Formats: sequence, structure tokens, C-alpha cells
Amino acid sequence: MPSLKRGTDGNIDDGAAAIGLIDRRTFLKWLGTSLAMTGVTACGRPPEDSLISRTRDEGGREEAVFYATTLCAAGEAVGVLVETHQGRPSKIEGNPLHPCSGGATGPLLQAAVLDLWDPDRSPAPRYQGNVATWTAFEDQVLTLLDRYRNDGRALRVASGPLLSPTLLAQRDALLARYPGSRWHVHDPLGEDTARQGSMLAFGAPFTSRYALEQADVVLSLEADLLDGSPAHLAYAAAFARRRRANAGATMSRWYAVEGTPSLTGAMADHRWILASSRIGDFLLELARALGVDVPADTASGIDPARMAALLDDLTSHQGRSLIAVGRSQPAHVHALAHLMNARLGNVDRTIRYRPSDALPVDFDALCDDMHAGRVETLILLDTNPMYAAPADLSFHDALRKVAHTVHAGLYRDETGMACQWHLPLSHALESWSDARSTDGTTSIVQPAIRPLYDTRSIHECVALLSGATEQRGRAIIRSQWSQLSDKAWESALREGVIQTERPESTAPAPSNDVAAYWTHATPSSPLELLFRPDALLHDGRCANNAWLQECPRPLTQLTWGNAAMVSPHLAAVHGLANGDLVRLGANGRTLTVPVWILPGQTDTCVTLHLGYGRTHAGRFGNGVGVNANVLRSHDTGWSCAAAIEPAAGHVELATTQSQDRMEEHQPVRTVRFDASHANTPREPNATPPSLYAEPAASDYAWGMTIDLNACIGCKGCTLACQAENNIPVVGPEEIRRGHHMHWMRVDRYHSGTPAAPRTFHQPVPCMHCEHAPCELVCPVGATVHDSDGLNVQVYNRCIGTRFCSNNCPYKVRRFNFLQYADLDTESLKGQRNPDVTVRNRGVMEKCTYCIQRIEQAHIAADRDSRPIRDGEVVTACQAACPTQAIHFGNLRDPGSDVSRTKRSPLHYVLLAELNTRPRTGYLARVENPHPSLDGEQA
Amino acid sequence: MSASPWLAPDTTAERISREVSDIVLARPTSRTWLASFALALLLTGVFMAGIGHLVTTGIGIWGNNIPVAWAFDITNYVWWIAIGMAGTFISAALLLARQVWRASLNRYAETMTVFAVSISGLFPILHLGRPWFFYWLAPYPDRMGVWPQWRSSLLWDFFAIIAYLLVSILYWYVGLLPDLATLRDRANSRGRQVFYGLLALGWRGDAHHWQRYETLSLTLAGLAVPLVFSVHSMVALDFSEGLLPGWHSTLFPPFFVAGALFSGFAMALAIAVPVRRWYGLHRYITPRHLDYLARMVLAAGLVIDYSYAAEIFDAFYSQDRYAIASLMAKFAGPYAWVYWTTIACNVAAIQLLWSRRVRYSPAALMVIALLVLVGMWCERFLLIVNSLFRDFLPSSAGMFYPTVWDLVFLFGSMAFFLVLLLLFARLLPMLSMAELRKLLPRHAGEDA
Repeated sequence: MPSLKRGTDGNIDDGAAAIGLIDRRTFLKWLGTSLAMTGVTACGRPPEDSLISRTRDEGGREEAVFYATTLCAAGEAVGVLVETHQGRPSKIEGNPLHPCSGGATGPLLQAAVLDLWDPDRSPAPRYQGNVATWTAFEDQVLTLLDRYRNDGRALRVASGPLLSPTLLAQRDALLARYPGSRWHVHDPLGEDTARQGSMLAFGAPFTSRYALEQADVVLSLEADLLDGSPAHLAYAAAFARRRRANAGATMSRWYAVEGTPSLTGAMADHRWILASSRIGDFLLELARALGVDVPADTASGIDPARMAALLDDLTSHQGRSLIAVGRSQPAHVHALAHLMNARLGNVDRTIRYRPSDALPVDFDALCDDMHAGRVETLILLDTNPMYAAPADLSFHDALRKVAHTVHAGLYRDETGMACQWHLPLSHALESWSDARSTDGTTSIVQPAIRPLYDTRSIHECVALLSGATEQRGRAIIRSQWSQLSDKAWESALREGVIQTERPESTAPAPSNDVAAYWTHATPSSPLELLFRPDALLHDGRCANNAWLQECPRPLTQLTWGNAAMVSPHLAAVHGLANGDLVRLGANGRTLTVPVWILPGQTDTCVTLHLGYGRTHAGRFGNGVGVNANVLRSHDTGWSCAAAIEPAAGHVELATTQSQDRMEEHQPVRTVRFDASHANTPREPNATPPSLYAEPAASDYAWGMTIDLNACIGCKGCTLACQAENNIPVVGPEEIRRGHHMHWMRVDRYHSGTPAAPRTFHQPVPCMHCEHAPCELVCPVGATVHDSDGLNVQVYNRCIGTRFCSNNCPYKVRRFNFLQYADLDTESLKGQRNPDVTVRNRGVMEKCTYCIQRIEQAHIAADRDSRPIRDGEVVTACQAACPTQAIHFGNLRDPGSDVSRTKRSPLHYVLLAELNTRPRTGYLARVENPHPSLDGEQA
Repeated sequence: MSASPWLAPDTTAERISREVSDIVLARPTSRTWLASFALALLLTGVFMAGIGHLVTTGIGIWGNNIPVAWAFDITNYVWWIAIGMAGTFISAALLLARQVWRASLNRYAETMTVFAVSISGLFPILHLGRPWFFYWLAPYPDRMGVWPQWRSSLLWDFFAIIAYLLVSILYWYVGLLPDLATLRDRANSRGRQVFYGLLALGWRGDAHHWQRYETLSLTLAGLAVPLVFSVHSMVALDFSEGLLPGWHSTLFPPFFVAGALFSGFAMALAIAVPVRRWYGLHRYITPRHLDYLARMVLAAGLVIDYSYAAEIFDAFYSQDRYAIASLMAKFAGPYAWVYWTTIACNVAAIQLLWSRRVRYSPAALMVIALLVLVGMWCERFLLIVNSLFRDFLPSSAGMFYPTVWDLVFLFGSMAFFLVLLLLFARLLPMLSMAELRKLLPRHAGEDA
């Protein structure tokens, strides 16, 4: 302690003199340094060896650093750019160079950054529940594994689907080291039916990839191309490109046949409701009509007029049509669709095949072996069968027959609790890895931060288990890609894509013998129970992600919990209201769940979403909803016969929108696609006169247009806004009380009959009205217009009268009724965007059009003495949108993208009659029904 | 004034002073008073605890939400401030109009005003997200150059309340001075002499005192009467300025003033009837006083009823679909029961007041007055919540459900009002002795 000693020796004067001499700036610098050295927590350390993709600097100071990497979510690897501030990843953006992203992210990847900072992540290895060390693990388990060097039959490894080429290679190495051992794949949401369908049709596994840009007519049979399918980001972008009603464009026509509503069905021009088990019959009927030699079967009951229209479209668009089948349909339906696509000449035009390197899902075989006592050591890598395995596998009992169990995962979850050893894995943003997307694009995963805890990547774990000489993450990946030159490697890291890897395409001939594989579906029960991945939680792996839990599910606006989706008719038959409890019986087990009445649901189907009912997810995910896996069986994965009976009790489900009819207000406008492009607006967009002065002319007038024809309602914008703007999570109780905080909400409306509704989505950010009613009523001037015409909220000045919210006709303002921002949990602070204030209780907040991004553009432009270029400011919602439905820019510039949208005949503003003159406008949704079915969706 | 005299023939100045001051100085504290006070104090304690909880936790303890960002808080505010209208109206407007019958009523009515306005003033402060910054509404010089936003009706309201509160307190206190001096002179213990002596500010009954007293009273009355109208017009503008269906109406200011007088006179009745009975003030608050108050209630009530009719007419005449939807929600929406309660209280119940028998029955008047108070609270609740819960976009619709804290603030504020009233009854003269004594010479002259 020399400095202290010197101080006590009486040399204090020196210090005082020094302080007297230094200026304020230097003093603040010292102060900052000393703060940094006292160990401010939640301060990340930049990764070693990662290469920066790009930076954003402000006034010569490095403000944000972006790393290109790849994240896997819902079965797809998507290239992303990770924004970090002082070493802390705070935001995920899409990587425009990666074909599976195209610059967009959708909702799941937006939330991924929160998982990194999750306070409930596992920080250290554990043995029998006690904190242990990696060394202890190595000592104990490696000795154990040595006995399998000659005969590894009792050694098993289970993991999720392997998207990483390196992991696939490591798997081979591990299996080679322990001969006879097996590596099983457990994937509750696997595409195994598609794989089996491909086996039936081609005799080999192929992955289908759709070229939706080429397709004029798309028939989706429960293929949730826009939301649920792995490649949904790329598909949604292609969908939007073909749906633009620009002059000279042709618009694609979408048909969706499904048992339970999906976002794809909501966007389709024709959505036909059919029990999930009857969709095979429907396809068979269609095949017969197309002249395919198929076995006779019962009719699906679809209206002949509809069938005729569809047939007309498919036959008149040969080579430009597509039949897509979802994983919830059995293998033979997939196989028949392959045949029909071939007959329609779609192969290599709208559908491309690539040999699949995915491993078959064989988790049931593992369970059988475990029950039979043939498994002595089980290593579970980043998979959670204790929660997600179908109940009929009784994994819980099977695990007890295994002598040695090891679990590696991000969390000490249900499986981690049940295993002897738990090893903490690094988050994808902390690790080196690689990934292959469904289209074959490969990319490197590089860390954006050094591990926060004593964790290792899955590659490091497998390397450890297989006794590899190289156990450091980066070296493992680099040696896998040793064929890349240093330059190519660097370029792959910077750009986020390995350029040399190009998806190849092959076109096999599908089997003509439909009768050989066709299985007649005989519904054993009048009621089917459908299992579907939750729109945001998917298989429940990220159940502790509070953003995902709180984000309203697109079709139901439900948060924090699942419910059995029933049709209005079924609810009426059983006298059920939203939230009433029912007992669902299936596969010999019962589950008590609340119901939710979903317009458009088939009367004979009840849908239950997976991903809920976790018991060891963490503080946010525990006990939210019910675990649907309890009713699931491994052989009838996606649907089964079920019984429903009302049970006593009622649960108040947390929804953010109570009224879903548009009434006469028509906030979402629709027009028919008109080939002559005389798409005239319904009402003239004349601006009523006003007594108030026009805003002073300035260089910039920021405005936004949201294209309802492109918006698929995925909620990517909502989550992007949450991540960008430090929007707090309020929890289910506060949601029930109407206290949700999302700045960007997506309204969902139904029109038509409850049995067969049209569903509409409408993102609603702040309208930034030129004559803002909120500004008029604030007594302290806490909400005002700035020189760019933005309606800004001054948090420091707000005293919380809430009059502004009352007077906002769009109700886009959000109030901190309680202290919602978590100021105590250290790790969560790491995620926060330093450019955005964290609001405390008692103040109003709302969408700012990402004013921090506008200001960054201002600074950059001012330094170069130039105006801000069109497209230089991209709001968070705009960046995340998979369909680029959001246009933003300067309205003063007549050539800007947003100005062009404002001149579109489809453009309208909400509640124009109030003369608030919103800067946010909408482009009407354009529908393109088959002419002969024009009347069916009035 | 050929009807029954305002004071009984055997009333003398000495008797007025004795009877009124004995209530404070000689009458022992009754068990009823103690029990009521204890109960009211207990509830007030809960109210204060609620305020503590509110300030430390946030207004999320209430049921307010988005879209219903105002609910019980502003309802309570408008309801209390309306009650605070009648006192000033009785004292000041009737003074200017030379209505002598006010002399028996003005003291307690003014007191009621001061207390009600003070309590109502709590709500706009407490309902803020950050109540400790309420003073930011004031235009004070600040280094940051911040300034209030003058277009907001909340700001006008802030000044209106403050001005009204100050003038009401001044007017009330000035009126008390001669009576405080009487109490000082009649006080039988040293402590009371000092207490009332200090409050009396050296009043000696000098002719100069009386002359200045009369001038000041008239001046303050002249100030107070316009304030009665302005305050409630400002309250009305809090809503009129909004563009919500059901709020955006230029008719609100007069209707709000009428509503204020309506509930104010009802509260004056609701206090007069029990006070008169418990303290034996039949000599001073005669059945005829009650009759006059009841007539005022009826008159104001008819204006209110007219406003209800006008509201319906306006909605359909405007053909504004949002206004019509809001009105239909009132009739048959989830809060329709509040609307029909309002109609039952404010339209149906007051029609009984056409009957002279009812007007001369204190019990009936008490019941009707309480119904009117309930009805006016419901009307204000409905005005706020029914307009907010479904406004323009269907997606924004959301119900309001009160929490237990909402009830604490409603009933707690009533208990607080009762505590203040009970203390007033024990410590200050309930009737204005000076004003009553002024009636005597003329009364004697009439006798002669």
C-alpha cells in the first residue's frame, strides 16, 4: 500500500496540489479509471481472436463494435451481427451477407442476447448438486471413460440436432475412440416426418428448399413457411418480395390448408380449415384431380369450387407453383407432395433438394436401451429430455437405471438436476463454433465476449470427453476449417459467411408408387390434440427468457403461459370461456389446462403449444404454463386422439389485447389486387385544415410507413424494440392489469365469422403526430416536438400525470406504474443499451423512432459535413423485420424510400379524421384471391 | 319574508353566544363523538399508510392502467372539489345576494369547503407518477430555463385550485375572527384563553375592526364567487381539452359547475341534518333552512339532468361514431350499472324533492343527499373510465378494475374529512355567532 503510506506521511499536499492543477476533464477521466479498476460488474471483456466486423464511432470514440457470428434458433443457423458496447453484447442485428438472414432476425434472435445475461445461467460445474471444478470432472470422468476404450457399447451420448460441421466431425472422433458407443439425437421439434417423407419418395434423405420468389401459386399444408419452419426468415423475405403490389409486378397467390391457425394461414389469400388428419386426404384428392395415380380414399370434404380454383391455379402455373408440407403432417403426405411438385414441374424451379446431413432422431432407441439396462454412462449434451421427452418414453425411470450421468447445458435445468455431473456450457455469444444452415450455407460462430462464468463450449466438452489433444475452442474450429487460408478465415470471420461453401442442388425422381407408402388415416377419436411449438419459446429451451415470455403470441396475444386452443364452436359445445380449465386426456394421461378460444381453429382439433411448464428453467420460466410433453407420445409426435372435459376452475390468462374485432373502424384496410394497378385508396388522404401553425421547415422530417401487405405479424419488431430501448419486463400479473410496456405493439384483428376469420396484424409504434394531442396536455412540457419533427418524451421532466396517454388516440404511450426496470440484478445490466435511458417508475415512455440511432447518424453526417443519407438511419424494428415491412426515413427528401411509400395510393394513416397528422402511416393490405372465389372472404 | 322567522322570537344575542360557544367550551366530549373520532382516525391512519405505500411503491398499486390511466384518483379529486363548491357559494354568493338565511349555514359550509378542497387537492398530487415533483407546475425561475406548458388545462387547473384554496381559507378565517374572540372571552380555562386568543388575532370588537371586517368579507366574497365558477370550469376543461369521445365537449364547464353545486348542497344537507340533531341546533338550522337547501339541490339537479339529456342529443346530433359508441357503452357496456346508478340517484331520487313533505323531513333529505353524493361520484367515475376504456382503436380497449388501495383512498379520504369535521365541531363554533347576532335587530324590528 505505498500510496496510502505516502498519504499518511504527510504528503497529502502533493495530492491536493495535483488535484488543484488538473482540469475537470482529466479529473473525470481519473474518476472513470478508478471506477473501472474497482471492478464494476456486468462489464464484459472483449473476446480474444474474434475479428470485428464493423464499428460505429462517434467523435473519434469507438461507440459500438459489431462482430459477425451465427446463432442457431428453431432449427436454423442464422448469420447475425452482434453489437457490443465496451465488450458487452447488447443487441443482435441480422447479417445482410448471410442468405438465411438477409439482414433480418425475426423475434427469436432478438431475444438471444438476453440469454447470455440471464442471471440464472449455470456458472460452475456441479457434482451431486455441489459446486465442483472442471479439474474434478476431468479426474473422475476421464478415468471412467477409459474403460470404454475397447468396448463402448454402454456409453451413450445424446444431443440436440447437430447443425455444426465441427460437432459432426467431433462426434465421429468420439465414436471412433469408444468403439460401439452411440450418439443419439433428441429433438422435440425435429423435421423427422420430412426426412421420412423424403426416404419414402426418394429412398434417401433430402432437404427441401423452396424458392418462393419463383412461385406464383403456393399451397401450404400446415407448412408454416413464414413463421414456424426453420428457414422462415428467408421465406418471409421472399414472400414479401412477391406480394408487392407495385405497378408492373405480378403478385403470388397463397393457399393455406391447416387445422390450427398459423401466421402463414393468416397471410394467405385463401385459408381453408381442415382437421390436421384430413389434410392427407385433401392432398390425395388434389393429386387425383391432377391425374396422379393414387389410391382411392375418402373425400376430404373440401368445397368443390375451392378445389376447382386451386386446381386451376396449379395447372395453369406449372413450374411456377409449389406444394409445401409442414412437419406436423405424416411422412406419406410429404412423399406425395414431392411427387406432385415433380409432376407440376416445380423441381429445381420452386423447390430444390439437397442431400440432408441431419442425423435421424433416434431418442426412443436410447430410452429402450436405458430401460433394458444396456446403458452404463450417459452424456447429455445441451439437451433436456427430462422436460421435453414424450412421457411415454418415461425417461425419468430410464435415467435411474444409468450408473453414470453427465449433463452439459447453459442451465442446470430439469436434466441437469437429475444427472450426477452438470457442466455449464458457454453461450453461443461466448464460444467458437460453426454452423450449417438449412440451405447449406456454412458460417463460423465467433465469440463476442469472453465467457462470463467458468464455462466451456460444447466443442471443448466433446474434445475433453474424446481425449482430443486440442481442447481450446478456437483451435478446434480453426483446425476443422484448416482448408481455409488465413485470409479466407479472416474474411469468414468478418463477413460471417464462409464464401467458399455454396449450397449444391440435386434433383432426384420421386417414387410414383403412392399406393406403396400411403397410409390411410383413420381418426380413432372425434377430437384430435395437436402439438405445436410455441411461436416464441419453441421447445421451451429459452423459457427463462423473460422477453420471449412477455411478448404476446402473434395469433392470441397471450403472454406468460399456454392454453389449449379450441374453436368457438367447441367452446360453445362445452360451455367454455377463455381461461376455463379443462381436462385433456391423451395417450392414457390427462392434463388440466386453461382453454383459449381461437377463431379459425378446426372444431375437431385442440392445439396445445410446447415449451411451457418448465420446473427448472429459472426465475422467469419456472411454472409458467403447462408441459404439453406429458400428453405427447414418441410415435405420434404432432397429434393424437384426445378427449376434453370441462374441469372446475378458471385461470386469468395474461393477454395484451382484449378486443380483436375491427368493428367499423377498419384500422387495417384491405384492397383487392388489381392487375391494372389502379389500386385506389378507399378514402382520400386529404389533410383537414387546422388552426395550429404548420411546423417550421427543417432539413429532416422523420417518417415511417408500415406495409401491412408485407407484415406477417411475427413480433420481431416488438422484441427488437425491447432489446434496443431497454424496455423492462413487467411479469404476468402486471400484464393482466394492463401495464405492459412494449413500445412497438402488433395489434391482431379478426374479421368475418369466428369459424373462418380473416386475421390481420398491425404494428403500432408511436405515430409521431405533427399535431400531437399528447403535447398539448402535458402541464410541464415533458413531451415536445424536436427540430426534426419527432415527438420526444423528456423522461427527466415527466412527472407522470398520464394525461398524454389519455389523450393519445393510438394508446402507444407506456407508463412505469411501478419500478419495472430491474436496477438490482447485475448481469441484466450488461445487456442494456448505453445510448438509451433506463426509465424509473412514475414516468411515461414511448417509441422514439430510435432517436439514439438518428442522433448517431446526425453526428456522423455532421462530421463529414453532409446530409444524412437515405437508409442511413435504420430503426431497430425496421432492421429486425424479416419482410422489410417497415420503411423509415426523411420525408423532406422526395426521393427517399419512405417518401415513395407515402405517395403510394395504398398509403393511409390511422384515425385521419382526428387531424393529428401522424408521421407513421400504413400501406393497405392487398389481397389476391382466385377470381372464382372472390366472394369467400368478404 | 312573511313565512316563519329565521330565528325564534325568544332568541337573544346572549343566547346565541352562549348556546353556540357552549358546544365548544362547556359541552362534555360525548361517547358518540369519541367513537366516531376513533373510527375515523383509524381509517385515516389506513389512508395515510396508503399514501406512504403509494409514494414508495408507485401508482401501480391502483387499478389504473393503459388505456384507463385515470380512474379513482381523478374521480375522487373531482368529487371532492365539487363538494367544496357549495360552501363558498352559500357564504359568498348568498351574501352578495343578501340572502340572510345563509347566516345559520355559512360557517359549517365554509368549513366543509376548506376541508373538501384541501382533500381534493391531495389527489392531483398523489396521482402523479412522481408526486414529489408536483411543484414543477409552478412557473418559477430555474437555471435550466424550464417553464410550465401553458396550453395544458392541468396547469390552469393547478392555478385554479391554489387560488380557490387560498381564498376559501382566507374567507373562512376572516369570518371566524369575531367568533374566536367571543370564545376567547367566554373561555373558562387559561389554555383555551390562550388558544382562542392567539387565533383571534387581537380582535376587540372595535368599530374599526368591524368596518374592516365587513369590507374584507365583501371583497373576499367578490373574489370567491367568480372562483367558484372558474375552478369547476377548469376542472371541466381538464376533460374538454382531451379529444376522447365523451370528453371533447364545450358544454362541460357549465354542467360541471351545476354538478358541483348539486353535490355541494347535497353534502351541506348531509352535514346539516345530523349536526342539527346531535347538537340541538334546531333553533338555528330550522326546517325552512333544510327546505331551502333541498330546493337548491333540486334546482342544480335539474340542470344536471338537462346535461344528461344534452349529452345524448349531442352524441347523435354530431353523428360522431366514437361519441355514439361511447354513449352506447354507457347505456349497455360493462359499466352500464354505474350509469343506471347515476340515473337512479341524480335523476330519479331528486324528483321526490318536489314534495314539500319530503323537503320538511330531515330523514328523507338525508337519504336523498347521500344518494346524490353517490350518484355524483358514479357520474364522475363514468365520465373518466367509460371514455377511456374504449376510445378509438378497438385494440386499445381495456377494463379498469379497482384494487383494495383504490378503495382505501376513496374511503380513507372520507374518513379524513370526517376527522377534520369532528375536530371542527369540538374546537370551533359551528355557527357564525356574529352573523346570527346581526339578524337580531332586524328580527326585533320585525317583531315590533
